[in-house]
Amino acid sequence: MMLIDNLFKSFGRLEVLKGIGFSVAPGSVEAIIGPSGGGKSTFLRCLNGLEPFQSGRVTMGAHTLTPDTDARRDAALLQSVRKKVGFVFQQFNLFPHLTVMENLIEAPILVYNESVETARARAKTLLERVGMATKEDARPRQLSGGEQQRVAIARALMMRPDAVLFDEPTSALDPVMAGEVLKVMAELATAGQTMLVVTHSMNFALTVATRVHVFAGGKDVESGSPEQVFGAPEHETTKAFLRQAGAV
Amino acid sequence: MYDPHRLGLEATRCRSLAAFRALGVFLLLLFIPSQARAEKLAEVRARGALRWCGDQEGGGPYIYPLESDPSQVIGFEVELAAKLAAYLSLEPQFIQGQWDKLGDLVRVQKCDVVLNGYELTPERSEAFEASIPYYVYGLQLLVRAAGPVTTWAALKSNPGGSKAKIGVLTGSAAGTKMAEFCGADNAFCELVAYDGGTDALREVETGRLTATLQDTPTASFYAARFPGLRPVDAPVGRGYYGLYVAKGETVFRDALNEALIHLVRNGELEAVLRRYRLWDAAQSELRTIAEMGRFYGLESAVRAPVEKSDGAAVGLVHTEARKHGLQVFRACGRILLQSAGLTILLAFLSFPLAMLLGLLVAVGRLYGPRWLRFPLAAYVELLRGTPLMLQLYFMFFVLPEVGISMPAFSTGVLGLAINYSAYESEIYRAGLQAIPAGQLEAALSLGMSRAQAVRRIIVPQAFRMVIPPIVNDFIALFKDTSVVSVVTLVELTKRFSILSMSTQATLELMVMTAALYLLMSYPMALLAQRLERRLEAAS
Repeated sequence: MMLIDNLFKSFGRLEVLKGIGFSVAPGSVEAIIGPSGGGKSTFLRCLNGLEPFQSGRVTMGAHTLTPDTDARRDAALLQSVRKKVGFVFQQFNLFPHLTVMENLIEAPILVYNESVETARARAKTLLERVGMATKEDARPRQLSGGEQQRVAIARALMMRPDAVLFDEPTSALDPVMAGEVLKVMAELATAGQTMLVVTHSMNFALTVATRVHVFAGGKDVESGSPEQVFGAPEHETTKAFLRQAGAV
Repeated sequence: MYDPHRLGLEATRCRSLAAFRALGVFLLLLFIPSQARAEKLAEVRARGALRWCGDQEGGGPYIYPLESDPSQVIGFEVELAAKLAAYLSLEPQFIQGQWDKLGDLVRVQKCDVVLNGYELTPERSEAFEASIPYYVYGLQLLVRAAGPVTTWAALKSNPGGSKAKIGVLTGSAAGTKMAEFCGADNAFCELVAYDGGTDALREVETGRLTATLQDTPTASFYAARFPGLRPVDAPVGRGYYGLYVAKGETVFRDALNEALIHLVRNGELEAVLRRYRLWDAAQSELRTIAEMGRFYGLESAVRAPVEKSDGAAVGLVHTEARKHGLQVFRACGRILLQSAGLTILLAFLSFPLAMLLGLLVAVGRLYGPRWLRFPLAAYVELLRGTPLMLQLYFMFFVLPEVGISMPAFSTGVLGLAINYSAYESEIYRAGLQAIPAGQLEAALSLGMSRAQAVRRIIVPQAFRMVIPPIVNDFIALFKDTSVVSVVTLVELTKRFSILSMSTQATLELMVMTAALYLLMSYPMALLAQRLERRLEAAS
C-alpha cells in the first residue's frame, strides 16, 4: 500500500506539483497521463526520493518520505524505500560497462548479498519473461531501444519491488519496439505487479490501467477508471488533452 | 670603487689587504656566542660515519665522478673529507645534494658538514658554524686564446664593436666581482649566469662568450681540457673555502677545526692540493691560519707534535682526454642505466599513489559531504598552483623543523604522488561529471547506497574515459621525476648533468639520456593504447 499525501514541489519559483495525493492499492495499475509539463515525471521521481519535495508525504509500508528527508542524512531510509519501489526510466539507463546479465545481478548481490548463483538463476527467469533470454551476454549498446527497456524492466524486478514506477517507458521508442515493451508491462500487470505508469500510450491506459490520472498544471485534475476518464471526461482540461491525443 | 686599470701590479697589494679584512670579519663572527649543541659530536661518533655533502655536478677538481666508475666520486674535497673523517675515527659518507641547498641539508640534519667550495662569508657564518679555511682561492679571468681580448681593460673597450659577454657561476663570488666591474645596468660589459662551471668555459672556447671569471681551482683543473682558453693576468681577489656545520654545533665544528689544523700542520692537506695542481703561493696562508688556531681555543691542536706526512710529493691526478662516441657509451652507459632505474622506481611507485589519491579527492569533491568540498578544492589549487620543486623543498627541508623527517626517496615518491594527485583528481572529476546523471539515479533506484553506486557504476565508467589523459600525465611524471634531485636523489637527468659536466661529452650523453627516457615512456604509450582498445571492445 502506497500513500501519497498532498505533495507540493517547486523548482525555485516554478511550482511543479500543487497538492497531489492518492493511494495505491496492492496490485493496482495507476496510469498517469496529461500534457507535457504537467508534473508527471517529477511526481514519479518524488515517490522514490530522486527529487525532494516541499510539502506533503509519501508512505511506503513502514517508511515515510517527508520534506525533511535528506539525501545524505536519511540515506538508509531512502535505500529502504527504493528497495521497495523499482524505477524504469525513459532513457533505460542500463549500465553500459556491464553485460545484460551483470546489469541484472549487480544490485541484488550488492544490496541483498545474494549469491551469484541465485542471482543468475533469477535473472535467467526474468530475462525469459521479458523475452531477452538469448541476450544475457550482450552489452547494452548492442541492443535496440526496445530490448534495452525490457532488460531495464527485468533489472527493476530483480529487487522484488512492491511497486514499479515507469517514467514514460516507451517515449524514446518507435511504435514496434514500444509495442514489445507495453506487452511485457501488460503481462506484469496481469501477474499482479503494482505499477505507476506515466505514459503517452492512451491504449495502455485504457486497456491495462486500473485507474487513470490526468495531470495538468501540477494537479491531478481528474482520476477514475479508464472507462470513466476516456468515456465520459468531466474536466475541460481532460477533454482538450484527449482530443489532442486523438483518443476520443 | 673597483678600478680595472689598476689591476696589474697594484692588485697584489690590494688583494692581501682585502683578504686580511675579510678574515678579520670572519674571526669576529666566530666569537659571536651561539647556543651550543654539544651532543652533535657524540651523535656523529655514535653513528660512526661523517656525512658530508657536496654536489658532484659542480665538477672537478672539487667532487666529480670517477672516470672508470662514475658511481664513485673523487676530487680534492673527497680526499679531504676522507682525511677529516679518518682523524676523527669516522667513515666518510658522501651525500649528494644540490649546491645551493647544501646549507639546508645541514640545517635539517640530513648531512653533518658542507664541504664543497663554500666561500667563507659573513652571511653564511651567521647562519651556520664555519670552520677555519681549507683553501685560499682567487678569481681567474679566462679568454679565448685566439680571441682579441688580452687584458682586463680590453673587456671594456668593445673590440668586436659590441659589448663583451662574460660568463660567471650563478651566485658565486666571481659573479659579484664581475657585476661590479661591468657597472650598473651592464654599462661596460654583459654578464651571463651559468649553473655549471664548465658551461661557461665551453662557451668561451666556442666564442659565444668573450671571457669567464672562475675560481682558481676550476680554472687550473680544466686548463688541460680546454686548450683553447688562456688566462689573463694573475688571479684577482682572494677568498677562503670553509666547512659549514649547523648553527650551535660548535663542539663539532671545533673537532673539525682541530682535524684541519692537524692536516695543515702535517702537510697532508698540501699533498692533496698538490695532487690536484691546486697548491700555489697563496696556500701558504693556510699555515698561518692553522697557527692562529689558538684564537679558536684550539691551543693543544696547534702545539701538538705532528709527524710530517711524506705524501707531499705524490704526483698529479691524471685527467683523461675528452671521450667521444662509443667511448662515452662504454664509460657512462651503466651508471646512466642505474639512474634510469631510479627514475622508473620513482615513477612506478608515485603514479599509482597519485591515481589513488586523485580518485579519492575527485570522488570526495563530487559525492562527499559538503564540508569536505572546500578543503579538497583548496588542496587541488594549492598543489597545482605551486611548483613541484617548492613542494619537495617544503617536505624535505621545512617539515623536519616541526619534527617530520622522511628519507629522500620517500620524500621523492610522496612529493610526486601528492603533486600529481591534484592533476589526476581534475581528470577524474571531468570523467565523473561526464557520466550521465541517469546512471547514478538508476543505481540508487535499485537500492544501492551512494557509495556502492559511485564505486561500482560511476567510477568504472569514468575510468575508461580518462585513460588517455592519465597515461599522458604518467609520461609527464616520468620526466618530472628529474625535479627530485632537489632532495638529493640522483635520477637520470641529474646524472646526465653530472656526467656531462665532468666528461664534456654533452652531445653523446644527451642522446643516451633522451633515448633512455623514450625507451621508458614509449612502451607506456603503447600499453595504454592496448588497454584502451581492450576496454573499448568490452563496453
